[in-house]
Amino acid sequence: MRMFRVFAAAVLFAAATLGAAGGDAQAQDAPAGDAAKGKAVFLKEACFTCHGRSGQGGAYNGPAPILAQTALPLEAFRAQVRNPVNDMPAYSDAVLSDKDIADIYAFVKLLPGPRSPRDIPILNN
Amino acid sequence: MSKGRNGSSRRNFLKSAGLVGAAAASAVTPPVAADAAPAAPLSKKAVPPGPRQIAVETLAPEKDPVNQTSSGGDFMVDVLKTLDIDYLTINCASSYRGLHEAVVNHGGNTKPEIITCVHEDIAVHMGQGFAKIEGKPLAMACHGVVGLQHATMAMYNAWCDRVPVLVFGGNIMEADKRAPGAEWLHAGVDIGQIVREFTKWDDQPASLQHFAESVVRAYKIACTPPMGPVFIALDGELQENPIADRKALRIPKFEPVIPPQGDAGALAEAAKLLVNAQNPVIVCDRLARTPAGMGHLVALAEALQCAVVDNAGRMNFPSRHPLNQSFRRAIIGQADVILAIEMNDLWGTLSHFHDRIVRTSNPATKPGAKIITLGVRDLYLKANYQDFGRWHDVDLDIAGDGEASLPVLTEAVLKLTDGDRKSVFTERGRKLAAAHQAMVERSKTDATIGWDSSPITTARMCAEVYNQIKDEDWSLVGTAIRLSWMHRLWDFKKPYQWNGGSGGAGVGYNLPSSIGAALANKKHGRFTVAFGGDGDFMFNPGALWTAAHHNIPILYIVHNNRAYHQEYMYLAAMAARHGRGVDKMDIGTTIKDPNVDYATVARGMGAHGEGPITDPKDLGPALTRAIAAVKAGGPAVVDVVTDPR
Repeated sequence: MRMFRVFAAAVLFAAATLGAAGGDAQAQDAPAGDAAKGKAVFLKEACFTCHGRSGQGGAYNGPAPILAQTALPLEAFRAQVRNPVNDMPAYSDAVLSDKDIADIYAFVKLLPGPRSPRDIPILNN
Repeated sequence: MSKGRNGSSRRNFLKSAGLVGAAAASAVTPPVAADAAPAAPLSKKAVPPGPRQIAVETLAPEKDPVNQTSSGGDFMVDVLKTLDIDYLTINCASSYRGLHEAVVNHGGNTKPEIITCVHEDIAVHMGQGFAKIEGKPLAMACHGVVGLQHATMAMYNAWCDRVPVLVFGGNIMEADKRAPGAEWLHAGVDIGQIVREFTKWDDQPASLQHFAESVVRAYKIACTPPMGPVFIALDGELQENPIADRKALRIPKFEPVIPPQGDAGALAEAAKLLVNAQNPVIVCDRLARTPAGMGHLVALAEALQCAVVDNAGRMNFPSRHPLNQSFRRAIIGQADVILAIEMNDLWGTLSHFHDRIVRTSNPATKPGAKIITLGVRDLYLKANYQDFGRWHDVDLDIAGDGEASLPVLTEAVLKLTDGDRKSVFTERGRKLAAAHQAMVERSKTDATIGWDSSPITTARMCAEVYNQIKDEDWSLVGTAIRLSWMHRLWDFKKPYQWNGGSGGAGVGYNLPSSIGAALANKKHGRFTVAFGGDGDFMFNPGALWTAAHHNIPILYIVHNNRAYHQEYMYLAAMAARHGRGVDKMDIGTTIKDPNVDYATVARGMGAHGEGPITDPKDLGPALTRAIAAVKAGGPAVVDVVTDPR
């Protein structure tokens, strides 16, 4: 999952920088997300094509990271959408508004994350 | 060009008949010059026949035999039998009718047995899949020019995949022997030119002795690493006319080339670098070409207790081996010595490429890492098609067959490994094993996300299939683009449990090549399973008819995301780049409205069909029914409607 690691490292670095520069204030200014609208945007704007309808991750030119219950803060999430690392397309505000991104974020945060594979017998063959 | 026993060939028949008819007509009704004087009134008394009429009615006709007791095609079959060729995949065509008939009647339709295909692309792709399981080529025959043009895509895939296929194409070399119409359209001065840029060798034999020597030579060249498809043009006259003197013809002895082993000194130097390295990593692609190959790589990796990153061009390394780090590719960046064996794309494997507005790349390796290459791929390249990939600097470049060279390299490594190094290796192996186990657990955990979703996740699809075939003697022979869950979740440990990809990334490979691999597995009693995308399926669905007609058992899972999905994503990336929105990317990239019912298509071809399966709960029972059909001896298709990736 090389791309995932690069992606995670990049956004964590961005979050730390924002925090030092007053990220709390920016976070308070961020629009609140609507998960239902986020789902519609997620499916309409092709997010699912790489990351899967369940946010399970997938592949584009390389692995596309899991988004279900993402641990990223919204600011880092938005930074990746606007100025992505690696081959992910950059979505400008002409395509996705900050509100759209907040909605998508709310949606993926609510997606069920992984379960214990021990609860699924056929994954233990 | 040899002639018939009476100096007349098949195609002379019409010409002779035509000439006789014309002579007769002119004798009965002599031509009258336009400016000739009006003829005198005919006498009531019969006019006696003239000398030309007498000749037509009394002379023996030109010799025009209608039977023959031998044919060049018979000899051609004799040649094929010496090469132990199991199958001849064909789409029937008049330009090789002489060979076709000889295979059936002279050869008894065995060694080779004809496999009927409904497209030449299917016939060659079957050969590609067959060879990678059976370890030897089958033969394929196609029509002159047009059939060969149909075959080109599959021949290019075989070329890029370095797989031997023996391709024959009909032709009528002598212009005066071609019938009017199609025989001219289907003939060429040099039809091998159509495929020469992606075949290892080709020829157009002008005699039967020439045929024998060229076919044995072609077979030998095809099977010599780096392997590849070869082409032989079959002259129509040569196939169909009687053999002048069978005793004068000799079939050459075939003796396979012993693949070249790398230079012993160079391999010793490589061993020294590997033994002294802190973090050596082996990367490989099309390494294992026989059942022994995987064992040789395991022996080297275990001798070094080093990481193996397998690009899976062949069944190179067991998926559950503790040293398998194929899904931890970041480990390449930690390596101080990299041994790259039989690589298809060295630069692509050792670099990060960025598909952005300004395309850039940077090394995936750390500065100063030593790169050793071992393989034969670059010993035979051509200029036009760029399948050789971008240049990459190396420190030690060893020309030699990877599989043949590994035992020598392993022996050299063991000789150089003293007690201290062995302790270091053991500790390294312990850490790698722990990382491998964590990788396996991570894969299982990732697979649970969206487990009950519809469309079905690809992880669940692969897990459900494995659950039902894991106790069979299974052989996985196909996958869809970027579908890697099988390699993350399944326990691959036998040499025939995987056979690599298409080679040239030419769509339409997966279904027919999987059926070709299933044909090879059939006599071994193995259970063949394959996945393939819906887009790929639509290129060659007729391959299923071949599987049904010849009772070739295979479980084929259609990974149906109703799109050419990689292109869908590329289009979305283009639209996002231009800030124009990505909500219309289904135009030209999807296969819906109407949705294709692949199970019905399968049933129409004589195969068992299940689906479309949209609820994951329905997948297990559908697989059970399909597997029963496969065990009954035929093909079965399960259409699984999936999430994109």
